[in-house]
Amino acid sequence: MKLGIAARLALVLALVGALAAGLTGYYIYQASRDIMVASAKAELLVSAHAMAKRMAGTRESVSRNLRLLATHPSALASLQQPTPTALNSMATLFASMMQAQPSFIQIRLIGRREHGLEVVRVDRAQAGPVRIAEGDLQEKGHYAYVSEGLKLAAGQTYLSRLAVSHETGTHLGEGKPTVVMVMPVADPAGHPLGVVAINVDLEGTFDLLLADLPRGVRMYLANSTGDFLLHPVEAMRFGFDRGLRHLVQDQMPPTLALVQRRVNELVFDLPRGEHVDSPLVAAFLTQETEVASGDGSFILGLAQPLADVLATVNNLQGAIVNIVLGLSLASLLVAVVLARALSRPINAIGQAARFFAQGQVYTTLPTQRQDEIGDLARSFSRMQDQISRQLEELEVSRRELSDLARLDGLTGLANRRLFDERLALALARYRRHGVQLALLFLDLDRFKEVNDAHGHEAGDVVLQVVAQRIKANTREVDTPARLGGDEFVVLVTAVEGVDQLEALALKLMATLAEPIQHGDLLLTVGCSIGISRTPVDGDTPEQLKAAADEAMYEVKQAGRNGYRVATPLVSVVNEMG
Amino acid sequence: MDACSRRQHLGQWSALGLAFGLPIAHAARARTLRVLAWPGYAEPEVVKAFEAAHQVKVVVTTIDSDEALWRRISARAGADVDVFAINTAQLQRCIHQGLVQPVPMAAIPAAAQQLPRFRQVQHIQGLVHGGQTMAIPFTYAEMGLMYDRAHFAQPPTSITALWDGRHQGRVLVYNGGTHNFSLAAQALGLPSPFRLADADWPTAVRQLIALRRNVAAFYAQPEESLALFRQTQAVLMLANYGSQQLQLFNQAGLKLGYAIPKEGALAWLDCWAISRGTPDAALAAAWINHLLGPQASALLVSRQGLSNTVQEPPYSQPNDKLVWLEPPEDDERRNRLWGRIVSGDRFAKVMAA
Repeated sequence: MKLGIAARLALVLALVGALAAGLTGYYIYQASRDIMVASAKAELLVSAHAMAKRMAGTRESVSRNLRLLATHPSALASLQQPTPTALNSMATLFASMMQAQPSFIQIRLIGRREHGLEVVRVDRAQAGPVRIAEGDLQEKGHYAYVSEGLKLAAGQTYLSRLAVSHETGTHLGEGKPTVVMVMPVADPAGHPLGVVAINVDLEGTFDLLLADLPRGVRMYLANSTGDFLLHPVEAMRFGFDRGLRHLVQDQMPPTLALVQRRVNELVFDLPRGEHVDSPLVAAFLTQETEVASGDGSFILGLAQPLADVLATVNNLQGAIVNIVLGLSLASLLVAVVLARALSRPINAIGQAARFFAQGQVYTTLPTQRQDEIGDLARSFSRMQDQISRQLEELEVSRRELSDLARLDGLTGLANRRLFDERLALALARYRRHGVQLALLFLDLDRFKEVNDAHGHEAGDVVLQVVAQRIKANTREVDTPARLGGDEFVVLVTAVEGVDQLEALALKLMATLAEPIQHGDLLLTVGCSIGISRTPVDGDTPEQLKAAADEAMYEVKQAGRNGYRVATPLVSVVNEMG
Repeated sequence: MDACSRRQHLGQWSALGLAFGLPIAHAARARTLRVLAWPGYAEPEVVKAFEAAHQVKVVVTTIDSDEALWRRISARAGADVDVFAINTAQLQRCIHQGLVQPVPMAAIPAAAQQLPRFRQVQHIQGLVHGGQTMAIPFTYAEMGLMYDRAHFAQPPTSITALWDGRHQGRVLVYNGGTHNFSLAAQALGLPSPFRLADADWPTAVRQLIALRRNVAAFYAQPEESLALFRQTQAVLMLANYGSQQLQLFNQAGLKLGYAIPKEGALAWLDCWAISRGTPDAALAAAWINHLLGPQASALLVSRQGLSNTVQEPPYSQPNDKLVWLEPPEDDERRNRLWGRIVSGDRFAKVMAA
């Protein structure tokens, strides 16, 4: 398909408009996307700090409970003089505390003596708190939480490594991720005689933290070596306990800086990968335990799918797409209007050219415009006028030329061509309507002598005068013609009879015999006339011409200056009879 | 813990990952040697050198557990593997199942360069079967004693140092029933650390309770041992991860001494064995010969922190005694009892388990 200039112009304009709108939209989208991602990261970091605070808060709340137990008079009494009353009192206290704190799965009083033998121990069982019988109490001196706890000053807390508990006989706690928190129980002199220990169920504690996370936000917790303790995928938690280590720095390489203690917090993007199902934005930080601990510090992180972050931007994206489409449509409309405004006058000029080619003049040209198109229209209009004028002149010349071709140049009579046409026409009328016709052949007598004696000019004058006289003596319907030289012919139509023809011949002989003034000269010529007619002499041009010519020749032979009818009347009557 | 979980650990800890060992996919038109090995055993340059020297293609598949190894070599009667690395305990299983064939010693001249303790294969339990050598030792790690030089005027000479009351609360031992019962047996002077007689069990349990009362803590991971060593200000440690653990401490700035006790250090030993199903035993033997060469042997030390069989490690002496691990008499029982011991139960309660 051929595209018109208007269509092409509209297309280009529309494309430029759409491109401009699209680019603007794209950059707006990019910019808002970057802003959203940056603010999401900042929010995640704030939330991560809040989470770290909550964890510290949880730890402090356990410390308060420990302090309550460690300073209870029965605690020291149970270590110094373990009377049944003191031990029972501790056990009751442990049980009631365990009932109040769902995450406490074991509470113990552990002595320094006898290799850290437990003195009082309450475990959480399915049915509730259970006090462990004396024979089942265990020595715990080989656990760091005991040996380290005994090194603390009164009121200080020790936090064990976060790990899966493999201590047997701990009821619900066995095989569960646990942290043991201890506080020394000191005598009045400040010497620790034992520790109180609370085992905290990490699953429940983590679940509480996770419950407060905004939808879609994932939480990670790793120890100082990077081993995951909390991970959205449960199999990744406490992998080291099963001999398979799952490290935060392996799954999220940027966190290596935290593991190596080069930074304290960081935010980053994580592309899709082996451990990342969809692109994430993340904020991670190092949280010191602030109390003596087996782990020292933790790495805490929050992550959010990039898709969630961009959900808002995607709404904006919809709006941007609409705006871009709207602008593109508008630019298309403008382009069409503009293109039409430009193309209409051009089309008008084109239309004018087509009309003009068909010989019509198209007058509604935009000649009033004051721009290039107006110039073009005016030029075209002028050109149209000029061509029209020239065409008219050409037509006149053509007509003149055509006349020239049919008239004898010297005399203005019909020439042989026109005569033949008229003869053919008259014969056709004769054949169709029976309109009789006749031919009078005239040959001037003594013309050669005039010509020789007085020159061609005189001859021409003679011929012109003869022609005028023949014309003057014939009817409008007859056709006098000069066949060449001094030969003339008169085609007579609507012939009524031989008399009429003889009268015409006599009239012509008389008028041609009159002298002709040429300068001072009086020139005299005569004429010989041969007459042929339908139907007696034939009904074809050849027959009629031959008959008239022969009759004229006979006149010449008989001594000139006379006429002869090729076929006299008698014969005609006979023929008609 | 048994050799299996150590090996798993080795795989990750040696920071090599599986990248080097991913099976090289296609088999060439030329002869192909299919090797099954632990990460770090068949390093790329070692493989390339062998391929160039023998005009063959080597396809190395790395394994990360004894179970995976067993699955590969027992499938289709060993027809999927030509040569593989295996520890002495697992090797017994293969011999009984008829999955390995005797090693043509004549085709392995490099074996003559091995240290005497590895040349005398008849002294290594399970290596010789029906008078024929079934595998060639390749690499090993022993569990020596790491000690604080400042604290010990003389290096500890006996495993009983772990029980020495003078170090009470400053000793670290690995948390694993299988090995710890062997340690107890060594300390008690029992004939075999791997075969406790019925009468030995109560004594061994008492011995381990005594160990428990003497230690600061039991550890599981190397990093954990480092943290605990610092935290508890320990002076003596049974290095379950051997020389690798020594390197880790070194890198952390703790320059400890290392001693092999006179009772002998428990040690795992990995050997190369030839599959019964291989179509080209000569090529497999050539591989073993190549792996005993200087290139592969040096890489074991420099990259893996393991010991090779041709060069004595700088910290040990030729007459140091190594006790190659054997399957214990009752692994399940050892671990069950150990679970109670490490939880703190007293003797009567442990034995009631």
